[in-house]
Amino acid sequence: MAKSDLDNANPTVLSVSQLPSRNLAKGHVRKGPDSKYDHILFPKQWWAGSSLNTDPSVWTSDEDEDDDLTLATEEPIDEQEIYGENYDPSSCTYLLSTISDPEHPVTLGQIAVVRLDDIHLSPSPAERLDPNTLTNVEVDLTPTVNHCSLATVIGLAVRVRLENALPPNYRIVVRMKDGSHAQDDQVNKQLGDKERVAAALENDTLKGIIEKMLETCV
Amino acid sequence: MATETTNTAPAAPSATTAEITPLPAFSPDLYQRAWASIPHPSLPLIATCHAHSVTVFSLSTLSKHSVLTGGHTRSVRSAAWQPPRGKVSGKEAKRLRLVTGSFDTTAGVWTWDQGRREERLEREIRLQSGEDNKEAEEEEEAEDEWELTLVLEGHENEVKSVNYSPSGQYLATCSRDKSVWIWEDVGNPNPSSEEEEEEEEEEDEDEWETVAVLQEHDGDVKAVAWCPDVPGRKGKYAPPRRYGDDVLASASYDNTVRLWREDGDGEWVCVAVLEGHEGTVWGVAWEGRPKENDKYPRLLSWGADEVIRVWSLKEPEEEEHREGAAGGGNNPWGFGVPNTMRRSLKEEWECTAVLPKVHKGDIYSVAWSTETGLLASVGSDGVLALYQETANTTGKTEENETNGDAPMITSAGGWEVLTTVKGAHGPYEINHITWCKRYDAGSERKGEEEMLVTTGDDGVVRPWQVRIQ
Repeated sequence: MAKSDLDNANPTVLSVSQLPSRNLAKGHVRKGPDSKYDHILFPKQWWAGSSLNTDPSVWTSDEDEDDDLTLATEEPIDEQEIYGENYDPSSCTYLLSTISDPEHPVTLGQIAVVRLDDIHLSPSPAERLDPNTLTNVEVDLTPTVNHCSLATVIGLAVRVRLENALPPNYRIVVRMKDGSHAQDDQVNKQLGDKERVAAALENDTLKGIIEKMLETCV
Repeated sequence: MATETTNTAPAAPSATTAEITPLPAFSPDLYQRAWASIPHPSLPLIATCHAHSVTVFSLSTLSKHSVLTGGHTRSVRSAAWQPPRGKVSGKEAKRLRLVTGSFDTTAGVWTWDQGRREERLEREIRLQSGEDNKEAEEEEEAEDEWELTLVLEGHENEVKSVNYSPSGQYLATCSRDKSVWIWEDVGNPNPSSEEEEEEEEEEDEDEWETVAVLQEHDGDVKAVAWCPDVPGRKGKYAPPRRYGDDVLASASYDNTVRLWREDGDGEWVCVAVLEGHEGTVWGVAWEGRPKENDKYPRLLSWGADEVIRVWSLKEPEEEEHREGAAGGGNNPWGFGVPNTMRRSLKEEWECTAVLPKVHKGDIYSVAWSTETGLLASVGSDGVLALYQETANTTGKTEENETNGDAPMITSAGGWEVLTTVKGAHGPYEINHITWCKRYDAGSERKGEEEMLVTTGDDGVVRPWQVRIQ
C-alpha cells in the first residue's frame, strides 16, 4: 500500500484543501473576500484525476479479485465507502464517519450519528453501468438527542462532504432518521433545498463550523 | 423544415412529433454553477447568473458579450431586463438596464455604459440583420461597460428572484425573509408616454420607491412573476376593474402560490392563495399569449413535488350568479359602489390541469412559449421535457404507443409529452430553462425561430433547436 500511495497524485496525508470534490472548478480561479474557504468547500474535482482511476492496486490489493462490483467500474462506490469503515486514505473513500461532531471531540461515526445501515444507494452499484446514470445516496442521520439544535449543521456538513467527494451523477438526500429529531420535516426540507444549501455555504460562520468538522476527514 | 406553430390543438395527440437537438453551448463555459439565463425582451442578448456575477452572452455569436462584476458580495441568483419603454425602435437600446437579485440581500440596478454600448449594439444589430462580418469576431474584453447604478436594500435575507412588471413601472423582489417587495420606478414617471428621441439621450434617474412589503407567505419566497400585458388581462374574463391590471404571482417554500394586486387605493393585497403542491414551489410562469385572445392568462407552477400545475381564473360571470351580486348593467360591482360595499377582493383560481409526470426530483424551471404555447421543463434529474396542449381537456390520463421510434407519449389533463432529453447536461442538475429567439448563423429565420436555452450546475449554457412536425 505504502508504495502505491507514493505514486498517487494525492499524497497519503491529505490536507483539508485537498479533500475530494465533485465540483467542476477546473482551471477556474475564484476571487473575493467571501471565497477564502472555497478551497475547502469547492475543491477541484478528483474523479477525473489519477488517484482512483489509474491506480488499480488500491483496489486489487485489498479487495477480492472476483468482486466485480468493485472492479468493473471506475467509481465503485458503495455504502461502506461512503461510511468509511475501512480506512484507506489513498482511495478517498473515507467520507462520512470521520466528520467531527461540532460540539465534542469525537467523530460522527464514533457517536453513531452516521451509521452504515442508514446509508442507501440506488440503483445498487452492480446496476450502474453508465457513469451518467443518476445514483441516489440516502443518508439517514441519528442525532444524539432528539432536540439537537445542531442537527441542521451536521446534516449540512454531511451533504457538503458528499457533494464534494462524489461524482456529479450522485443525487444526495440527507435526512434525520424517522422520529430521531423533533423537527424532522423542517430539517429535512431545509437540507433538501439546493438554494438554501448554496446560500448557507456563503455564510462565513457556517462555513467556519463546517470547515472545522471536515478537518478530521483526512 | 416547416416548424409549425400549434395555436390550434391537433385532434389526435399523436399527430405531432418533436425533435430537440443540442446546439453548440455558449462560450466560454463558466465552470461553476449557473442559476438562470434571462433573454433580453428584444435584443439578441441573454444574461446568465453565476457566482457573484452575470455574464451576458450574444445570441448572434453565441459567445460572451459582457460581464457584470463587483456589485454583489454573494451569489447572484436571478436577473431581469428592464422592458422596452414607450414607443421604441432601435433606440430602446439606450435604455439597456438589468436588475440582479443576490444572496447578499440586495438587488442591483445596472446600466450599460453609454459610449461603448452603442458601438457594441450597432454591431449586434448588424449581426442580427445578417450582415456577418469578421470585425464582429474581434471580441474585446468588456468588463467595465456595466455600471452598478443603484442598490435596492431592504430584504433581511437572500434575494431569490426579481421581476419587472410589463410596463416597467414596478419591480418585484422576494427573499428568504418570507417577504415580497414591490418597488416603483419613480425616476421614470411616464414610462409609456411618447418621448422625443432627443430626450431619450438623457439618462433615467435611478429612483425607486418601496410601495409594498407583502408578508403573508410562511416560508422563503422562491420566485415572483408579473402577468404579461396581453389583451385578456383587461378582457371580459378579467376580474372586475376595481383595482389595477398588474398582477404578481409569488411561489414559496410554504408550498403555496399567492397572487397580488393593487386595490385601487395604492394598497397591494393578496387576492388568491393557490394550494395544491406538496412541496416547495420553485417557480411560476404566466401564459404569454392565450389561445383565445380575450381569455385571462393562465398560470403555471412547479416544484419539489415533481408536479407542474396549470391554474385558471374562474370567470367572473359565474361569481356573479353564485354570490348574487346586486344591480343591473354590465358592471354591477363597478364604479359608484363605495369601498366598504364592494365584495371581497378575492379571486377564485382553480387548478385546471396537472401535466403528465416526467421528472424524478425537483422541477426547477418551466418555460411557456409565447409563440407556440409549448412548455418545456427541467430539474434535478437532468431531464428536459417538452409538452403540448391537446384537445383532450377532460383531465383523464391516457397512455399510448406511437408508431415508429418515438417514445411512449403520455397525456394528462389536456397536455401531452412530445419528447424528452435525458442527461441534457450530462450528470448535472439543470437549474433553468427559457425560450428565446434565434439570431445565430445557423438559423434560417433569425429573430423569428424559437429555441430553448438551458442553464446547469456544470456552468454550461446550452441552446437547443426545437423542431415540431
